[in-house]
Amino acid sequence: MSFDADVIIVGGGLSGLSAGITAVREGLNVILLERGDYSGAKNVSGGRMYIHALKKLIPDALEKAPLERPITKETFEIFCGNRKITFSFEEKDKKNSFSVLRAKFDRWLASEAENLGLLISYSTLVLNAYREGGGITLETNRGTLKAPLIIDASGVTSVVFRMLGLRKFTPDKWMLGVKEIIKADVNLPENEGEVRTIVGEIKGVKGGGFVYTNKDTLSVGMAVTFDSLPKSEFPAKDLVEAFKERIEIEGEILEYSAHAIPYYGFKNLPPLYDKNLIAAGDSAGFLINDGFTIRGMDLAIGSGMIAGLASKKIVESRNFSNTEIYYEMLKDSFVLKHLELAYNRFELINSPSTFSTYPEILCNVLSDMFTVEENRDTLINDVIYRLKEKGIPLSQVVRDLWKAVK
Amino acid sequence: MVPLLKRLGLNTYNVDKKPHIEVNTDICINCKDKPCTLSCPAGTYEALPDGRIAVHYERCLECGGALVICPFGAIKFRFPEGGISYRYG
Repeated sequence: MSFDADVIIVGGGLSGLSAGITAVREGLNVILLERGDYSGAKNVSGGRMYIHALKKLIPDALEKAPLERPITKETFEIFCGNRKITFSFEEKDKKNSFSVLRAKFDRWLASEAENLGLLISYSTLVLNAYREGGGITLETNRGTLKAPLIIDASGVTSVVFRMLGLRKFTPDKWMLGVKEIIKADVNLPENEGEVRTIVGEIKGVKGGGFVYTNKDTLSVGMAVTFDSLPKSEFPAKDLVEAFKERIEIEGEILEYSAHAIPYYGFKNLPPLYDKNLIAAGDSAGFLINDGFTIRGMDLAIGSGMIAGLASKKIVESRNFSNTEIYYEMLKDSFVLKHLELAYNRFELINSPSTFSTYPEILCNVLSDMFTVEENRDTLINDVIYRLKEKGIPLSQVVRDLWKAVK
Repeated sequence: MVPLLKRLGLNTYNVDKKPHIEVNTDICINCKDKPCTLSCPAGTYEALPDGRIAVHYERCLECGGALVICPFGAIKFRFPEGGISYRYG
């Protein structure tokens, strides 16, 4: 059977483009299919990229890429009713992560890929996928394409895996991200930027809100699990507006967007490979949330690059069933190592007490601490009393603390 | 609150001739909570007085939520050929 390419990549976002760039550098014959008119047309992201992987993909990216601001300040805000715990951490001149706007960023990365010789077919939508003649055939709105190896980089909905019956989605393993871009006079020097993470301000939802400082805009939004959306005090269509009002952000809205986000955790990841097929980025469920860092973009670039390198090995071996090569390479990389490292805290975040009970206990204890009256107890007695009030034994707190630092 | 349609109007849409979302409204009649009406960020699903659902497929933000929000499998979703384009992302 004749094939149209060594590898077809479905999806021209971060993982697909990183896979494409790497595979072309490895000398493979690659076609990338992107359903948008341009890369980034369909992409939505909170808007922060940890850039270690990008620097590996494009060594001079810091000078060339359309990044917004380096994140030099992190602020956490935990609301419990009319009380709020806030803490911030600042590190000037830090250039470990940047705010980004994906419609700009992905378009730039696609042009870099095209300059390297990657063939990108835009406005190309995959309608169906099936196995045939030792490869996979993709039916698209522009005709049929076949390859012995497909990289599914189509995002959380994993188009090719889904069409081959290799995915089952559930609302607890997906989050909805909703976001607005707000025009703003950002009173910060060019080399400074802030990320605010806000928890507990909208009741009923499992998740939180964020504000990212871009050059002259703010990205304001929420990420909450789909199964908690019907329990939220606001319907999904009003979520960002309500959140913005609560945290008192005003300004001209430039864009309203939404996207599903994978929320599996290391031990619940979906299948990452099958015969003739590998998944990268969101399509593989690669998202890390350890309570302090929420990452998907560096994992997308990292897994995309590994997918490109693995493709070369698979093509050379001429054994297209042996896609486990990709998994073995992922295991040796930061992608699966970091996902595994984060799993304890990921589990902790998902336990019902973490988002609701613990913040309230902490607020109660702090409130007692800052209230001076005739009757006053020691801090430890107060902590034990407040825990008892919520029916949480001290041993569980110790176990949870251990999980948080392990 | 800025109305939803005003916010959606900021995006560029290239709406397909044929709806990319199909709903089995006979199933919806028996669904009391109608989680789709609460979980869709584009207000695509609207509850009608007769218990059925109206689908405004042209508003769709293509988040993918349709693949998980209906507990009864009443929603069939495929990505549109045209659909939304974001300027900022």
